Amino acid sequence: MTSQPYANNPPLTNVPMTEPLTSDPPPIFHCRQLCFTYPDTTTALHNIDLAIGQRDRIALVGHNGSGKSTLIRHFNGILPVQKGELLYHGTPLTGDHLAAIRLKVGVLFQDPDNHLFCNSLYEDVAFGPLNQGKNREEVDHLVRTNLAKVGLEQYLFKPAHLLSYGQKKRAAFATVMAMEPEMLILDEPTANLDPRQEHIFKQLLTAFTGTLIIIDHDLLFLYEICTRAVVLTEGRIHHDFSMDELVSHPQNLHDHGLDFMFRFTCCGTHKDTPYHHHHHHTHDHNSQNSHLPAPSLPNPPLLELQHYTFAYPDNSPGISDINLCITKGETLALVGENGAGKSTLAHCLMGLHQGKGYLLFQDSPLLKSAHRILRQHIGMVFQHSSDQLFCPSCWQEVAFGPQQMKLSGLEIKQRVHEALAAMQLEGYDDRVPLHMSGGERKRLAIAAVLAMQPAILILDEPTPNLDPQSELLLMELLKQLPTTTILITHDLFFIRNLTRRTVVMHQGRIVRDYATTDFLTDDHLQAVNGLDYTYKNGCIQTIQELQDKNLTVAQ
Amino acid sequence: MTQPDNIILVSPWIACAIIGLIITWPLYLLCKKRWYPTSSNDRDTTPPDWSTAPGSAEEKRPSFFHTWDPRFKIATLFAFCFVVVSLDALDTCLAALLISILAVFFSHTPWIRVQKRLVALSGFLTMFLVIMPFTSPAVEQETILLFPLLPTLPFHMYGLLTAVLICLKACSVALLMEPMFGTSSLTISLQALQQIGVPSPIIQMLLLTHRFIYLFQQEAHRMHRSMKLRGFSPKTNMATMCITGNFLGMLFIRSYERTQHVYEAMLSRGYNGIFPIYTQHRISAKDIAITGAWLITGLALLLFDAPAQALWL
Repeated sequence: MTSQPYANNPPLTNVPMTEPLTSDPPPIFHCRQLCFTYPDTTTALHNIDLAIGQRDRIALVGHNGSGKSTLIRHFNGILPVQKGELLYHGTPLTGDHLAAIRLKVGVLFQDPDNHLFCNSLYEDVAFGPLNQGKNREEVDHLVRTNLAKVGLEQYLFKPAHLLSYGQKKRAAFATVMAMEPEMLILDEPTANLDPRQEHIFKQLLTAFTGTLIIIDHDLLFLYEICTRAVVLTEGRIHHDFSMDELVSHPQNLHDHGLDFMFRFTCCGTHKDTPYHHHHHHTHDHNSQNSHLPAPSLPNPPLLELQHYTFAYPDNSPGISDINLCITKGETLALVGENGAGKSTLAHCLMGLHQGKGYLLFQDSPLLKSAHRILRQHIGMVFQHSSDQLFCPSCWQEVAFGPQQMKLSGLEIKQRVHEALAAMQLEGYDDRVPLHMSGGERKRLAIAAVLAMQPAILILDEPTPNLDPQSELLLMELLKQLPTTTILITHDLFFIRNLTRRTVVMHQGRIVRDYATTDFLTDDHLQAVNGLDYTYKNGCIQTIQELQDKNLTVAQ
Repeated sequence: MTQPDNIILVSPWIACAIIGLIITWPLYLLCKKRWYPTSSNDRDTTPPDWSTAPGSAEEKRPSFFHTWDPRFKIATLFAFCFVVVSLDALDTCLAALLISILAVFFSHTPWIRVQKRLVALSGFLTMFLVIMPFTSPAVEQETILLFPLLPTLPFHMYGLLTAVLICLKACSVALLMEPMFGTSSLTISLQALQQIGVPSPIIQMLLLTHRFIYLFQQEAHRMHRSMKLRGFSPKTNMATMCITGNFLGMLFIRSYERTQHVYEAMLSRGYNGIFPIYTQHRISAKDIAITGAWLITGLALLLFDAPAQALWL
């Protein structure tokens, strides 16, 4: 299906569509009254009626937990049809037919590590085509072509555990594309990727000619690729219309918790922030031979790195000659391409990696043996919040840090209560972290760090996998925190709204250190590190025009 | 009672020299490591070339081990290892060690890797060298050394010879592992094992284990790091036990979930219980010739070793 048929659709209704919007060609998949209930009695899908036509480009959207992943697991036969009917080219998904469908419907799951189960990329990509019964020459060609398309041709025989996250994500995509699927289903394909890698995905998906279903919370990304939007709410299809119609009705977006319009507005408060430069010290030395702070500094730095270099033992790129000064109350964004050294720098600030150079805390150089002190004053929330959660209840999780600090029982109780309240998790004391949604887990991980009352809070990629509503809530909560904050992210909206200073990294070095307003208007950034954070601006303008047009018609 | 043929009283000076050497050599190595650590500048910083399969014929310096059919290679070298283990004479064991060294040399295996493998064995073998001469039973026509101040602990030369034989055989077999498995990728080696009769489920388990052991290691590392950052330092108390229990439990749950997701990803790419065979091998005359040469070498070693074997009968 193309976008054209949708343009002439009748006005929106809340009645789900039961038939494809065009009658020819016949649908690939047809769901009739499809229901699914998990063994713990959670009903994930209620009476789904959906027809997926050839060449449809569908954005499957909805809250976290609305049943999107459950639905796509049916299309590949991973979940059985419990009630209702699911037909592929008019035939139910059973037996040999099911095995054949799996070779035609490619699914890319969220976590790329699940896709890379062989001992080299070559084997991973060849796995699908070999199962399809293709001959070796053909398989070899497919492997090399698809890895070249995602820019990994030089890593043909690299084991997956040695790849970066972005590389893994692209490699996982190549494993699916090598099967030349008739239909492609992608679950959060661009989470945690920098704009350049996101752009690679966008180009490949635009060029894909088969049927496409994408689950993503980034409606700007979806808008550029998909033509049809299916909105799921609590396991039911609430809307099935064109992408243009979805984005042009702010009220609909708002009703389904998909309102991403907040991303379009600038807070406009950061106009007069002075220019920063990362050399905040003189060339005079103190007794321990580190540089003295510049007399022009208004406040003594809280944390400072001087000429700091760190290299990984396996020759992976680290950071090189970093000079960075963080003062109390500052809000700083660390940006750069995947593998630029942002997380490595954060680990150095926490004393987890010990390199060459000077690390000063409250103006005193720290010896390597004293790096432990940093952990009492700096808190870090990791990219994957589940890495941080290991206790059986939320209360225990948040109390863990204060307990290790040997605080009194009363103090611990108070801190846990305050931290949970700060992250709007009151009443979650006995909830099991493992059973919580992605957004809740992220907030719990922040609460667990806040309970230790750190002087500096480092947040590593806080937004991926969160729906717009959870994103907005998280942003509002982070805005209210009085702590010095370092935000590692690719999310321009968070950078704009939460930080006043931006440090741009490229290949382990700081290439820019300036006010966020300067970063947002920096036209030369793309030339420096190849990242174009503004490439979605065109898309934003189109959506705004659509909404304005829709508003005018309504009036 | 068996009487030794010759008893030699070791001079105190020689005994002191031996003890001195035993004490100072490890100390020297320790100090050398501390005072002259390997500089990062000395390290080879060139990233490996991942565009060619490790241990394949396309590698920069392929050897005949790389091009040898992996099924023949594994079966032949495995049989040769059994031959080495069955040797009993010092000269044949030395010959076997020499063959292994030559095999490593011709397979272009980096010596640092060989060194690491041998160092891993060294503690175990040193124990043999130290303990066996003092604990071995006396045999006829053997020489015994008596150290000053240790008249009740005779040093049996026969025990030393037995320990040396064990060390030589262990080193030979360890060295042969490099040309056997280091000259093909893990997948090719395992699939060769499958083709020569190792059950398929074992091979699939090994393949997946090798991949996911790193992943679980990374997950465990990340969880431990976040515990450390929140002030955890392990102690010998109940609280540490509880926290470690939570940590292991969470790791187990995550591993279980991971295996389910991986299985789903495999199913979605057409997995039907059998891993596809990535490489097809054709037996060539060269494969048969190399296999024949190894078998003849093994037989020759057995033949020369026969008189020593006869002593056991």
